[in-house]
Amino acid sequence: MKALEIQNLKFFYMGREEPAIDIEHLSIEDGETVLITGRSGGGKSTLVNCITGIIPHVFHGEFEGEVNVYGKSTVKTPLSKLSTEVGIVLQNPETQVLNYTVEEEVAFGPENLCLESEDISERVRESVDITGTSHLMDRETYTLSGGELQRIAIAAVLSMRPKLLILDEPTSNIDPEGTAKVFDIIRKLKEEKTLIVVEHKVERMLPFVDRIIVIDNGKILLDIKSSELSHYVEKMVEIGIEVPIHFIYARQNGIDSEDMDTIRERLRQINMIPAPPKRAETSRVVMQAAVSVSTKAGKKLVDGEIELQEKQILAIMGRNGAGKSTFLKGLMGFLDIDLNCEIQAALDGRDISREHIIKRGKEIAFVPQNFDLTLISKSVELEVAYSLKKRKVKNYMDRVDKLLDMFSLSDLRYRDPLSLSLGQRRRVAMASAMASGVKVIMLDEPTSGQDYFHKQVLGKELTRIKEAGYSIIIVTHDSRFVYRFADRVVVFNEGRKVLDGTPESVFMESRQYSILPPSDFILRSDENELVNH
Amino acid sequence: MNWLIINVVSWMLFFFGAAFPVLILLKAIGLTGFMKVTRYESYHTFYYRMNPSVKIILGIMVMVVASVTIWWIGAIMTVAILSSYLTLKEGKRKFITGMFLTIMTVIGTTWAFAPYTPYVILQEAFHNSHLTTLWVWPSYFTVMGYQPALTTQGLIYGFQISMRFTAVSLMSLVLVMTSTPSQVLRSLNKVGIPTSLTFSLVVAMRTVPRIFEYIDTSVKIQFMKGLGSNAPSIMRPFYMLAGAFSGIVPVIVFLVRGAKDTAISADTRAFRAYSKRTYMHPMTIGKVDKMALSAVILIILMTVIMVMMGFGKGISYNG
Repeated sequence: MKALEIQNLKFFYMGREEPAIDIEHLSIEDGETVLITGRSGGGKSTLVNCITGIIPHVFHGEFEGEVNVYGKSTVKTPLSKLSTEVGIVLQNPETQVLNYTVEEEVAFGPENLCLESEDISERVRESVDITGTSHLMDRETYTLSGGELQRIAIAAVLSMRPKLLILDEPTSNIDPEGTAKVFDIIRKLKEEKTLIVVEHKVERMLPFVDRIIVIDNGKILLDIKSSELSHYVEKMVEIGIEVPIHFIYARQNGIDSEDMDTIRERLRQINMIPAPPKRAETSRVVMQAAVSVSTKAGKKLVDGEIELQEKQILAIMGRNGAGKSTFLKGLMGFLDIDLNCEIQAALDGRDISREHIIKRGKEIAFVPQNFDLTLISKSVELEVAYSLKKRKVKNYMDRVDKLLDMFSLSDLRYRDPLSLSLGQRRRVAMASAMASGVKVIMLDEPTSGQDYFHKQVLGKELTRIKEAGYSIIIVTHDSRFVYRFADRVVVFNEGRKVLDGTPESVFMESRQYSILPPSDFILRSDENELVNH
Repeated sequence: MNWLIINVVSWMLFFFGAAFPVLILLKAIGLTGFMKVTRYESYHTFYYRMNPSVKIILGIMVMVVASVTIWWIGAIMTVAILSSYLTLKEGKRKFITGMFLTIMTVIGTTWAFAPYTPYVILQEAFHNSHLTTLWVWPSYFTVMGYQPALTTQGLIYGFQISMRFTAVSLMSLVLVMTSTPSQVLRSLNKVGIPTSLTFSLVVAMRTVPRIFEYIDTSVKIQFMKGLGSNAPSIMRPFYMLAGAFSGIVPVIVFLVRGAKDTAISADTRAFRAYSKRTYMHPMTIGKVDKMALSAVILIILMTVIMVMMGFGKGISYNG
């Protein structure tokens, strides 16, 4: 039986002349596992919204064509009835989890179906067993890590017992350990359900999927078996999709294999192992900081130190809860007043430990993960000028112009920052944070939720800023991004710094802290060295 | 000179009443302090075991009693409810936060009534035509509705009025801190309030603590970008308040972007599939609820007796 059948689907959002999705035919068999990938804004989410019935039941617009899930038309069937046929797990678990306790969250769907309490209990038990979250049942949802919360979101959908499960970028906001657990769930569910996974991490998904569908500009560009991926590498890269790096080199050098070890060996034989990314040379130390954070009850949360050099990108990595963000927030004075925080920090040799956030902010910029919260002005120009005006800098418009130019925002200077695209908003937040002449820029999880294309853009932006003389600290889970763009990596574990060095040296040992080395690194590494570690 | 001092002191007193309570609260507990008293945390003491319907009844009872009886009954209830905060999870911290909230409510309400209440009402309330003047306002303050002078009786009157609010605010927070939105939803549905309406409440209960968290981040970023950089540090709480107002729009936009996911998450899990819902743990009335309901009945009886004894007059508040 067909799990999904789409015929002549077109959907236009209100006020748009071009369709957001335009698919002539697509069908998915019962039991298949399909990866849907593509650039952000390419139409992936619109497609899954059409499959779940969210379009046209929740989001309205002009809908044409036919979408059937297990023979039921998504247009004619009420959403509540469709919910037992198709379930969806969204990208951000924080916004989809509605309830305060884990048990209530998982029970929410079956309770809506008016099942008997015994049936609800049975479904809840079954779902938390599959997702390995039974130990979290008594916890409040807001106390969970991103990975735990995402598994609860999956359990909450599984309790509806849908035949078709859609996971829309389920790992984009979580750490490698959480990601691995989500992939474990996918592996288990593959045997039982029809799965559609929307993901940018093609490399990680490859072992699980039967088919890969690439969507761009609302259309299906590729619909291939996963085993055929290596033949379409150039096309995928051209579209801006992240593909395993060894596939690219194999293709470029005529190596007919998909196995990393074989490809590396053959590349070595023909002396074509690519050079590692260029790292910044050692320079003078701009900032030294030691941060110690503990609860009122005396429990140590963070006790670590970092050293940042001039014109350097320093990445801080670690599991969720390892203390990375707490370290940054402690350094900036952003922590909850219930926590004890001791800082020893020097910037250009000057002790800034006791300075108020206002003074510290003059030289250190901080862009939080939720950078939208920082955009308070009515126009991009005013937002960038905010800091300069507040600090009474004379003739500040020259500096504003330079920053707008540096971040390619000149054409958008009169636009409301909140009305811009994600990438543009992030650039405004960065330009505004840097305006007062900072020397150090700190970004908390800038790669979270971004696709390959936007991560490349971000990496290039940061490199440009670095070359302009700034020193940058980023907190991230993305080891591929770190390998490509960072000059040094610090790994935190249980609040302490456990590794510090170049990406090459850190990735040799980072597995023990749940940080998987990227394929870019493995391809360039010596096999013996890797085995030894 | 005398004129200048009167004006300066009067305006300082004016701003004291308008801003002091909020500023002290921001200084003492911070924006994240509000988050902690508007968020559920699981625990095992009696409030947490009590049926939310009983807590709602208790809250209504406290409101009725505080509004129909003499001020000191409200004060006694305030002390009793505040003391019961010690039984909550992290009770000591919540007690201190609750105490700050209460003191600031008292100051705010007193100041909201003391300068405005007409003398004739004060004379009637205190059975005394002689009022004790504490401060004479500049004549133009009457434009703002002020009486010509601030009196001791005005302050006492304002204080007594505040006792109408303190107990009920503390009791409302007990409901929020000790019941999950889902439990409240069950209780409200049981009395026939439609699911779609109660669901809005559930989402609100989940969102309010986040609002404080996000505004806190927004304010800190504004400070980092130089907000209040040229002002003395004593003025920072004012800037914090200004920053909180500036942060409202981005916080709302941010929340609205997330609300789309919330709607999808609910609708794709059969929300509103039926006019009613069933529950994994149906609501029951336990021993704690029976004790609380007995207390409610006792309070009702005592209130009736008090009112009959003449302690139920709206005026005079001082008995």
